[in-house]
Amino acid sequence: MIKLEHINKFFGDLHVLKDVNLHVKEGEKMVIVGPSGSGKSTTVRCMNYLEVPTSGKVIIDGEEMNARNHIKLVRRTTSMVFQQFNLYPHLDVMRNLTLAPIKLHGVSPKEAEETARHYLNVVGLADKAHVYPTTLSGGQQQRIAIARALCAKTKIILFDEPTSALDPETIQEVLDVMVKLAEESNITMVIVTHEMGFARQVADRIVFMEDGMIIEEGTPDHFFNNPSNERVQQFLGKILRH
Amino acid sequence: MMEEWSASLGMLQSSAILLYILKGTLFTVIISAIAVILGVILGSVLALVRNYCHSPRYRIFRYAAVAYIEIFRNTPLLLWIFICVVFCPVPDIFAHRMFGLTTVETTLLFKASIALILFTSSVIAEIVRGGLNSVAAGQFEAAASQGFNTVQTMVYIILPQAFRNVVPTLLSQIITTIKDSSYLANVATIELMSRVRQILSTANIYNGTGNINVSDVFVLYGCAAAIYFIINFALSLVVRHINARRKAAASAYRTAKA
Repeated sequence: MIKLEHINKFFGDLHVLKDVNLHVKEGEKMVIVGPSGSGKSTTVRCMNYLEVPTSGKVIIDGEEMNARNHIKLVRRTTSMVFQQFNLYPHLDVMRNLTLAPIKLHGVSPKEAEETARHYLNVVGLADKAHVYPTTLSGGQQQRIAIARALCAKTKIILFDEPTSALDPETIQEVLDVMVKLAEESNITMVIVTHEMGFARQVADRIVFMEDGMIIEEGTPDHFFNNPSNERVQQFLGKILRH
Repeated sequence: MMEEWSASLGMLQSSAILLYILKGTLFTVIISAIAVILGVILGSVLALVRNYCHSPRYRIFRYAAVAYIEIFRNTPLLLWIFICVVFCPVPDIFAHRMFGLTTVETTLLFKASIALILFTSSVIAEIVRGGLNSVAAGQFEAAASQGFNTVQTMVYIILPQAFRNVVPTLLSQIITTIKDSSYLANVATIELMSRVRQILSTANIYNGTGNINVSDVFVLYGCAAAIYFIINFALSLVVRHINARRKAAASAYRTAKA
């Protein structure tokens, strides 16, 4: 579904991705973990062209992404949930959810609203259809953002640290929605997160990145119980201790 | 002394003079409205070009927009009115008698209005640019992640937020533009200021005393001041109302969050 081949990315002189190769299969739930600055977010952002790789190939749904086709390819195949939610503050929740379907996917307003109501139910916020996003809590905004991603009905949803900007007490409500999605849908999910319990629960595969490289990947069982790499052991030792 | 004052005030009872002043007021409002509307359109284009034309192929447009904005914003309006009166070409459609104006007047009206539009658009461009810069970077990313192209992103997502953020500033600019339009009095007898001055210069005929008195100056310019004040103060009340409503909404949001 998503193939990264020999991706390199520079920010100026900074070499943030070093020959990253990754293959996400259809329906797979992949979780990317690692210390800050390891290139996790950049990797995910390369998958929808928010970052343009300096070299290497991004192949989505069999099609290589480039400067000419990226808008249509992204529109058709991927959605994203951001750390800062990035809902449209000038539109109410309903129009946040229906804007792209109506303007980009040619869905009729009536059908788009039905879809939106369905997904608002899925994220448990059916009563918030006509409020503005800024009046909602962080956790609620992020659930709306997930509903917005679902409304595009793409096969892939990318999650870039979806709970990192949330107050501790609202993290769980967002994770619950994501767990539900992971268990009940066939959507391909790529999730960057620091929530290890969640990673263990939903991941088909966990990828550990450090210093712009993938240095370990495997099933949650393998990753948490007997990681072969010493750095992963250190990382897990640090975060699992609290 | 008292007679002079009553003679001056008596001028304002003449319906011909009142109508003349009223028409001038109407021209002032219309010229300003056109300048602001075209200024917003032209200014938005300039702001978008200045902010977002970074690719090497289109960089020339960005330089042009920067030059336009900075030149007009940093030179006096009166200068451009004089320059336009001399150099600005007038399309035939405007070189006719209309709105009760002579051909000479419509021609001058067109030229001076162009100067006002050029000047106002450069100021509004910077206001709109402030609005564009106030839109969070995440909005562009959200739009891109959904597959909006550049034009769609601007139309549906960025510009509505940018304009919403600058509505109070734009309304203030309307007030400024209404006052700026009085500069047109330097070249033509069309809008409020010029008409009041025109009446003053012939007040000896209208006030019945045979002389132009100090009281005429007070009454006529006082009348002009009052009209400008009423229009602009009403507008500034609107601005204040909008600002207060926003502040209330923002604090309601903060308390809701806390």
